[in-house]
Amino acid sequence: MPEKRIVLRNCGVIDPRDMSSYLAHDGFKGLEKALSLTPEQVIEEVKTSGLRGRGGAGFPAGMKWELTRKSPGDEKYLICNADEGEVGTFKDRYILQNDPFSLVEAIAIAGYAIGAKKGFIYLRAEYHYLRPMLANAIDQARAKGFLSHMDIEIRMGAGAYVCGEESALMESIEGKRGEVRYRPPFPPTKGLFGKPTVINNVETLMNIPAIMLNGARWFNQIGTERSKGTKVFSVAGDVPRPGVYEMVLGSKLRELVQDLAGATDIKAIQIGGATGRLIPESMLDTPLAFENLLGAGAITVFNSHRDIIDIVYRTMEFLAEESCGKCVPCRQGTEVMVETLERFMHGEGEERDVKVLQELSSTMMLTSLCGLGQAAPNPVIDSLQYFKDAYESRIKARGEVKV
Amino acid sequence: MAKEIEVTLNDNKVTGAEGMTILDLARAKGIDIPTLCYVEDLLPTGACRLCVVEVEGSRTLVASCHTPIAPGMVIQTHSPRVIEARRQIVELMLASHPDTCLVCDKANICELRKIAADLDIGLPRFRTRKHYFAIEDVSPYLVRDMSKCVLCRRCIRGCNEIAKKNVLGMAYRGFDSKVVVDCDEAINTEACRDCDVCVSLCPVGALSKPRKVEEKRRGKVQVIKG
Ligand SMILES: Cc1cc2nc3c(=O)[nH]c(=O)nc-3n(C[C@H](O)[C@H](O)[C@H](O)COP(=O)(O)O)c2cc1C
Ligand code: SF4
Ligand code: FES
Repeated sequence: MPEKRIVLRNCGVIDPRDMSSYLAHDGFKGLEKALSLTPEQVIEEVKTSGLRGRGGAGFPAGMKWELTRKSPGDEKYLICNADEGEVGTFKDRYILQNDPFSLVEAIAIAGYAIGAKKGFIYLRAEYHYLRPMLANAIDQARAKGFLSHMDIEIRMGAGAYVCGEESALMESIEGKRGEVRYRPPFPPTKGLFGKPTVINNVETLMNIPAIMLNGARWFNQIGTERSKGTKVFSVAGDVPRPGVYEMVLGSKLRELVQDLAGATDIKAIQIGGATGRLIPESMLDTPLAFENLLGAGAITVFNSHRDIIDIVYRTMEFLAEESCGKCVPCRQGTEVMVETLERFMHGEGEERDVKVLQELSSTMMLTSLCGLGQAAPNPVIDSLQYFKDAYESRIKARGEVKV
Repeated sequence: MAKEIEVTLNDNKVTGAEGMTILDLARAKGIDIPTLCYVEDLLPTGACRLCVVEVEGSRTLVASCHTPIAPGMVIQTHSPRVIEARRQIVELMLASHPDTCLVCDKANICELRKIAADLDIGLPRFRTRKHYFAIEDVSPYLVRDMSKCVLCRRCIRGCNEIAKKNVLGMAYRGFDSKVVVDCDEAINTEACRDCDVCVSLCPVGALSKPRKVEEKRRGKVQVIKG
């Protein structure tokens, strides 16, 4: 019941290499509809739909578009964020592999709405093998005249997690080191090459053709009060049926990991990847929605054989490695956390370490320059809240476990 | 003339010109916010986060050196939350900074030490490895000890914006981040001749001039009998 296909509507249905099969499934009808409206009307439609960003932050897409449209200047850009760097996510890859045409159509609609003559798809470096198919989709759309108002260029990612962060991504497209910018100014006022820019996740954009075709009102009726539509999840870890699932927003986590993915033994679930939340089995009835738990849709299940400190330590190691190194709280803070957790791994953790972790978490959240450092303490905070015994048992066993 | 904007700064209603940053306004009103990466003559970069303040309605603290004032902002520059965050930021820097102040050229004029003293910081609560890089003393024009670098990027910006020589850049990521020359070679470029821009901007003892031969101690070393 809660499974519903809007974003994945064409996956497995059309031939991703052949435009005619896409056209046979309402392909580019959304664009046709959009072009019959004024750009302002298109934006109004997206605003009414209640569509929020699927890249993690959940910012209302229509509002972003409107701000960019209204920013002064003729030169504007649209960027599709296909960097998919979040640990445990593979939904954008699945989408690109199965339905590149919808994405091209969505970019064409968005470009029209905000007044961008140029769009970029920032493709994760590891997805280089998808590039020919994506380029093929763009070429076919261009040949059919669907891209007469704008051009789309594919740019390869720089192979860094932080390059999925919007400002680092723009630096990367500009040919600079993938490092975060301070804000304000935000991309809608001053983005790529200093021009007004909309940057949207692949999945966010994938909703656009369907919204144009079926109307904002239709979309608005799906989901919860503050989370409209569906969400595509990448489920992995200790489950018998890992994979990509699309569900109506507000569905229970239990339906996803137990009913669909078939998990039986659950100790902890990481939602939203490395910077996401780490929750115990008792919270399985939490609805998956922006107001509760969501992130970019990565769901990793850990069974009772997994060690919480090990999970948190490895996650933190990743974040420390991927920190761009610009700001002090993130660069130094993740390092302190890694070293502290390493002591717990070796049975050398102390009571005072727990206190230091808590104090540091709050400072990193409050002062880091970007979402990476602000959310990096999440696994530590959650494990201290829900799995405190993992720390306590090691403190108690101090001296017994010497390595 | 720029538009005047009204904001609440530490419970007082004050006005500032549009385009001013929170830091500009605070300094104009005689409020001292510590800064490290910010220098008046360089473009802000927002790297050190020492200048954070509390702005009502913001999820996080806000760096005052690059955030423009906006109508109706309610700002607290010295709330307990702000002070605690600043303390931790300095402690984080100190935790990986070499303890060589005793023999450091910058000893008593080091900005990091001054800030630490102002914030009443003793031994840092954080335990972490120290930054370690070999001293670069091949250039006749300057010496770099990157172990002491706090990555404020003043040298990079000074070199690009003031000296316009673009000698320095950033390399590596996270804790391993480093200000480098070319492909991370010991600095030894002719461009540095007759240029002191980076040395004069460095807040700590990472950049210095080589000791001239004449300045070397002359005569015998004095031995004090005890
Ligand atoms: C460290 C970090 C990594 C991110 N990685 C991605 C990513 O791989 N893909 C993505 O779409 N958004 C990523 N984001 C979120 C983007 O900054 C941005 O919010 C998003 O692309 C906006 O699109 P949306 O509004 O459609 O969600 C990341 C954010 C952070 C802080
Ligand atoms: S060398 Fe000095 S000026 Fe340059 S980044 Fe490091 S601390 Fe800043
Ligand atoms: S002084 Fe503002 S971030 Fe460094």
